[in-house]
Amino acid sequence: MNKRVFLLFAVAVLSVGTLLANGQQEASFPQKDLTAICPWSAGGGTDTILRALAKETEPFLGQGITVTNKTGGGGAVGHGAGISADADGYTVTMVTFEILSLPPQGLVPFTYADYDFLMRVNMDPAALTVPADAPYNTVEEFVDYAKAHPGEINVGHSGPGSVWQIAGGVLAQKAGIEVKFVPYDGAAPAVSALVGQHIEAVTVSPAEVQGQVEAGTLKILGVMSSERVEIFPDVPTMQEEGLDVVFGTWRALAVPKGTPESVQNTLSVAFKAGMNSTNFREFAKNTGLGLAYMPGQDFEAELSTASTDVNQVMKNLGLAK
Amino acid sequence: MNFELLLQGFANILFGKALIMVFLGVIGGILVGSLPGLTATMGIALLVPFTFGLPINESMGMLLGIFSGAIFGGSISAILIRTPGTPAAAATLLDGYPMAKRGEAGRALSMSVFASFIGGFTGALIMSFLAPQISKVALKFGAAEYFALAFFGLSIIISVSGNSIIKGIIAGLFGLLISTIGFDPISGFPRFTFGQMDLFEGPAFIPTLIGLFAFSEVFKGVETIVEKQQVVSKLTRFLPEWKDIKASWIDILKSSILGTFIGSIPGAGSDIAAFVGYSEAKRRSKTPEKFGTGMIEGVAAAESANNACTGGAMIPMLSLGVPGDAVTAVLLGAFVIQGLQPGPLLYRDHIDVVYNVFAAMMIANIVMFIVGALGVRIFAKVITINRNILIPAIFVLSVVGSFSMRNSMFDVGVALFFGVVGYFLNRFNFPASPILLALILGPMAESNLRRALVISDGSPLVLVTRPISVALLVLGVLSLVSSIIKQRKSQKASV
Repeated sequence: MNKRVFLLFAVAVLSVGTLLANGQQEASFPQKDLTAICPWSAGGGTDTILRALAKETEPFLGQGITVTNKTGGGGAVGHGAGISADADGYTVTMVTFEILSLPPQGLVPFTYADYDFLMRVNMDPAALTVPADAPYNTVEEFVDYAKAHPGEINVGHSGPGSVWQIAGGVLAQKAGIEVKFVPYDGAAPAVSALVGQHIEAVTVSPAEVQGQVEAGTLKILGVMSSERVEIFPDVPTMQEEGLDVVFGTWRALAVPKGTPESVQNTLSVAFKAGMNSTNFREFAKNTGLGLAYMPGQDFEAELSTASTDVNQVMKNLGLAK
Repeated sequence: MNFELLLQGFANILFGKALIMVFLGVIGGILVGSLPGLTATMGIALLVPFTFGLPINESMGMLLGIFSGAIFGGSISAILIRTPGTPAAAATLLDGYPMAKRGEAGRALSMSVFASFIGGFTGALIMSFLAPQISKVALKFGAAEYFALAFFGLSIIISVSGNSIIKGIIAGLFGLLISTIGFDPISGFPRFTFGQMDLFEGPAFIPTLIGLFAFSEVFKGVETIVEKQQVVSKLTRFLPEWKDIKASWIDILKSSILGTFIGSIPGAGSDIAAFVGYSEAKRRSKTPEKFGTGMIEGVAAAESANNACTGGAMIPMLSLGVPGDAVTAVLLGAFVIQGLQPGPLLYRDHIDVVYNVFAAMMIANIVMFIVGALGVRIFAKVITINRNILIPAIFVLSVVGSFSMRNSMFDVGVALFFGVVGYFLNRFNFPASPILLALILGPMAESNLRRALVISDGSPLVLVTRPISVALLVLGVLSLVSSIIKQRKSQKASV
């Protein structure tokens, strides 16, 4: 055998070997436990959902999933850690709405495009909520009142630059009203300030006001979704009330850009099965979580328009540079 | 109050698997609480997914057990190694650690168990009997009242300053400055972050505490590590001595009631309650200057207040569906995933569940007392370990503790930085407690003052036209003035 033939042969063997090895590796992904990064602290909404979903998905992956809370920087730390992880599928991140609102503030060196999305998990619209004894019963009456009393309505939200402030901003912009925004440290304190009548309205998710609305202390005037929400079928959408506002928060699963496609597929199938499990569905129903599965690629297309919109509203609110 | 339902609740917890769950919860809680870096909130958050399949009695029994156990557990490391295991125990170390150093770790720990039990049980009783009424008062707290409460808390800076008022104020201002690092709470502008993402929310609280108190003590210990030193600590009893109870029972009762009420205000947690209880005990004392040098009353007041806070924090959660602090926010989630929505509706539709919670809370405190009292001997042994083994061990524990809070190496750096700061502060006789107070109350004061001004269109009158706010501000000014006068007098006396 001369040298050239030998080399050719060697290359052929090696490449078949590599292919086989690759194939083997992909076929048997995952071979060890996975890590799921939660950019928000233990016990919060995102953490609870991720832990419930991880627990239900484990049987479909055949490996354990450890949820790690990488918190700080208003979500920036966890989202950044999810991007800089190895693109081998062993680190999955629960990405939240803030991936759209952090970049316009000039605070982080990454965007949603640094992720490959596996799926959207849920979507919860903002709901315009006021005390039950407020002098307005519909969105229209609220808008009329706000026009007659410019700058007098205090709208509480969950923090500067948060999804619920942007929701309120979108609403005010579309309705052409002037309101004052009062930031709280999270949605719960904003809701308790509303119950105590220290402010006049909040724009947070329906689930976050559910208890108070059912108890009769608060009322929801409208929700910012395209269809009515399951937990409040009697509450009209903003569109029904003549305001074209669709806005809310979402949570999605993603892996770093460049993760092998077959690995992404394995993960997508497993997590989708976890989402469809009876236990997770019951969990979602009890917590008022609006499950809204959307395949990764469709969701990425939606994000590209959403990110321009968020950028624009944040500029109008004076939040973006 | 329906006593039949309450008895039924006790029966449900005592004669079922729930009692075992309470025991497991309490033991786990004490462990979680005593390890720096693992807090009550984390312990409960990690277990909530596993309670999904359990009946509500058992899941609540376990979670409330962890809650009570962890808040007490935090005092163990505060007393023994000057590191609060949870933020709630920050005030406990002020007198607890000096006692341990004197060889009185057992005395401090048994008082901590006793005071925690009385505080926790009082909180549970008040919760059971008065929750709906108290929650109405708590709702009256708007931004102005929160600011006034924080101001009142900050006014004790001078009284925890030790010998030099000026040094105390400098330390307090340093703490306030640190607490401004990170996103501006109203405009969202990042301050003093130098573009570091990890600083967007300011230096994390637990690593900062570990640095200021544990690392600084380790560095100091290194200076003398070659000398063989051992603290002799004798312990022959489970309960505090009668003279200690006699000296501090008024403080314990007062702190229990104060702690419950502070807990019931959403957003004010057990760390704040402990400091208010502590300063109240100091104000009442005939020898306030001895606080901070190992006064049993200091441990008693801080521990009864922070455990009373557990019952208090449950009040708005159960009766309004609004969590009173971070732990009850997670507990709220545990109810919700069972399909139960806390709030007025829970009282109307599931009153049996409400009474089971009352019973579980009282039983959890009794179990905590039993486990704690039996454990005191074991815990106290830690202090008898030779210093040249103990100090490296504390160092390792502190590194792990500061890392585990957010799984972040940056936080270990933060802890080391504050360790060096704490070491030099100590060297030059600057007190560390004003920094601690400022770190806890500074953010609360700032965000609420500014929130109040946003709502009032910039008019500061909002602070003085609301009765609760005015009352708290006046109390704050009185406490400032009286502590300055006391300080002057004691200085004159000593000259």
